[in-house]
Amino acid sequence: MTGFRLADGGGPVIPNFGQPSACLKHNGWFCTDWIGKHWGDTLQPALVQHIQLTLIAVGIGFAISFLLALIGFRWRLFDGPLGGLTDLLYAIPSLALFQLLVPLTGVTVTTVEIALVSYTLFILYRTMIAGLRAVPAEVLESARGMGLTRLQTFFRVELPLAAPAILAGLRIATVATISIATVAAFLIDDGLGAPIFAAIETPDLFKTELLATGVLAILLALVADALLAAAQRALTPWNRLR
Amino acid sequence: MVASTFVDAFRFMPDHLSLLFEKTGETAELAFAALGIGVVIALPLGLWLGHRHRGLLLALGVSSLGRALPSVVLIGLGIGILGVGFWNNTVALVVLAIPPILTNAYFAMEGVDSDAVEAARGMGLTETQILVRVELPLGLPLLLAGLRIAAVFVIATATIAGIFGGGGLGDIMARQVTYGLSGVFAAAFWVAGLALLAAAAIALVQCAASRRMAPRT
Amino acid sequence: MFRKHTRRAAKAAFAISFGVALLIGLTACGGGGGKKTTSTSSATGPKPTITVGTKNFAEEFILGQLYGQALAAKGFKVTYKNNIGSSEVIDTAFKSGKINLYPEYTGVIALDLAKVKNPPKSATATYQAAKTFEQQSRGAALLKPTPFYDSDTFTMLTSTAKKDGLKTMSDLSKLKSFSYAALPECDQRITCILGMKTIYHLKNIKFVPLGNVSVYTLLDQGKATGGDGFSTDPLQLDPKYTALVDDKHIFGFQNVAPVVKQSLLTGANGALLENTLNAVSAKLTLPAMQAMNKAYYVNKATPKQIADGFLKANGLK
Repeated sequence: MTGFRLADGGGPVIPNFGQPSACLKHNGWFCTDWIGKHWGDTLQPALVQHIQLTLIAVGIGFAISFLLALIGFRWRLFDGPLGGLTDLLYAIPSLALFQLLVPLTGVTVTTVEIALVSYTLFILYRTMIAGLRAVPAEVLESARGMGLTRLQTFFRVELPLAAPAILAGLRIATVATISIATVAAFLIDDGLGAPIFAAIETPDLFKTELLATGVLAILLALVADALLAAAQRALTPWNRLR
Repeated sequence: MVASTFVDAFRFMPDHLSLLFEKTGETAELAFAALGIGVVIALPLGLWLGHRHRGLLLALGVSSLGRALPSVVLIGLGIGILGVGFWNNTVALVVLAIPPILTNAYFAMEGVDSDAVEAARGMGLTETQILVRVELPLGLPLLLAGLRIAAVFVIATATIAGIFGGGGLGDIMARQVTYGLSGVFAAAFWVAGLALLAAAAIALVQCAASRRMAPRT
Repeated sequence: MFRKHTRRAAKAAFAISFGVALLIGLTACGGGGGKKTTSTSSATGPKPTITVGTKNFAEEFILGQLYGQALAAKGFKVTYKNNIGSSEVIDTAFKSGKINLYPEYTGVIALDLAKVKNPPKSATATYQAAKTFEQQSRGAALLKPTPFYDSDTFTMLTSTAKKDGLKTMSDLSKLKSFSYAALPECDQRITCILGMKTIYHLKNIKFVPLGNVSVYTLLDQGKATGGDGFSTDPLQLDPKYTALVDDKHIFGFQNVAPVVKQSLLTGANGALLENTLNAVSAKLTLPAMQAMNKAYYVNKATPKQIADGFLKANGLK
């Protein structure tokens, strides 16, 4: 110790922090005691944060993509530039995009959300436009023949028929967002990425934390995928495949 | 602010040309090793299963699972099992490359017009001949699309390996402290460039191959 | 037919949005994932909100929790911004007001932030230099320092050090070249590679930047000759690793002291804040920090739990 004495009261009481279990001492992959003990303070909060991050990103991304798709569909002139813009956003690696946004929105959840939203735009815009365009011409003609206006045709014919494709895109975008959101831990302490980064940074790599959190992330993605796949099937009873 | 970083990035590039080339080489090495191994594993399997119209569930399952695997998790598992180095990142990237290659190979073969296949079978061609001379040429676009997706995805993910000591352009992007925001931006450009190059190369292969592989019976 | 399909689509859309809304509601109420601690109401007037920042390693997380929880126990409202980054980054965050309290090492302030011309020759001198800097350049007070210090080291595998006959850092001149693994800021710091080059006059140093992987992991895998282990790391006590003696003292004197915005120290609440933090610092001896670091790295306890246990055992909570 270098020159600073203790204040009055003498030395500190050092509590007994206990011994690690044999499993933790050997850095095992499945230390269930750690998982049980730290579900509440580490794993569950991270999971909840991750779900929130994903829902906000996909929700906003869906809304923006829908608007853009409406524009690109109605006025073909805009389709090229809009498609190019979303392509460009997707091409920027997540690491770089996060850091690029920091001067604008700081080291916050907002920055991460903006990046995540821009990645969903790429997937959702393309699939929405493709879905809308895939409506067969004969169907549109018969709708016109029945006397429906342009607007009515859109809401009652094109949109419902494009719904399965749109939902397929939503499914891919959601799973992709869950995956990319793990990289967000590079910037902020939120989401499932945080325990993963922390585990890798521990000397000798904290195997249980890595595996437990990793499995959670994968399960989350699979559950989201399955839910949306079920929704997709519900919308298209005649199309059992995919 | 963003505009000035944009400009600075283009000043960074000529100043650090050798660094950028070195790092791009590292990323390319990693990506192409992973893609190569991925192709060796997934392509024959996908082609054969699609040809036999078997294993639809496997193809779909692998596709869904592949999208659900976060790259950070795989890289971390790689470090945990194989230690820090080249192979832990390569293995992680191979796992990510397999789903698009496998799935697209499967659907490329499976989706070929059954009439063409039946005609070929009727003419007495063996299964392998049917696969190579009929199905492959017809399914080439979808197949190469899968390869292109895998290539772009692997290159982009290889940069994340840079956060965990994997080197390459990701290393520059992870160390703003050393290279500045302009360096990060510059590295991002080069990643996009590398991905574009890979996609273009595959498109070229598709061009050449479709000319040589016109369906022969 | 279209109407039936629209109804089906509408039902599906409604079901999905309802499910999403339910999920948002559950996650908002259920997990909580709280970084905020609620304060206990106290009689001494409205207390300011303390935003505690911590740098990007475990000891800082623990220190942040120690100071933060002690203040919360006295009725302050405390929020945390953890894992902000390196010393330079957190200094910027402090300057811009994103945080108003963080634990820092006196040597880091004096040598890396203030960049004083002549490195101070003692712990007290280092503290004084740091205190003056924070007062004059940051409008901040540097409260009383801890007894313990935690400096960077040149850690090697004991087997390698023995093989090359290395005991002090000056001995490194025996080697034709070597590599050193440390956090990215290292090669620009006088307390790190820059100091090795200019003060130890060592040549041919290859810098291995730590990419979110531990120094000890890299040493184990032979990826670097030496690495920047912290002197309070539990693995420093492991005979497998040895830290070379820093005979020219480039790593400086590194006691910890809380950096606090001057504005927080006014009035009765300010005095309470100062006394609380000083009381905590006083109890942080080397054995205490080593035990807490061990609880984190070996027992895998969380910084929150560790700080809670320590504060309670010492009547500070």
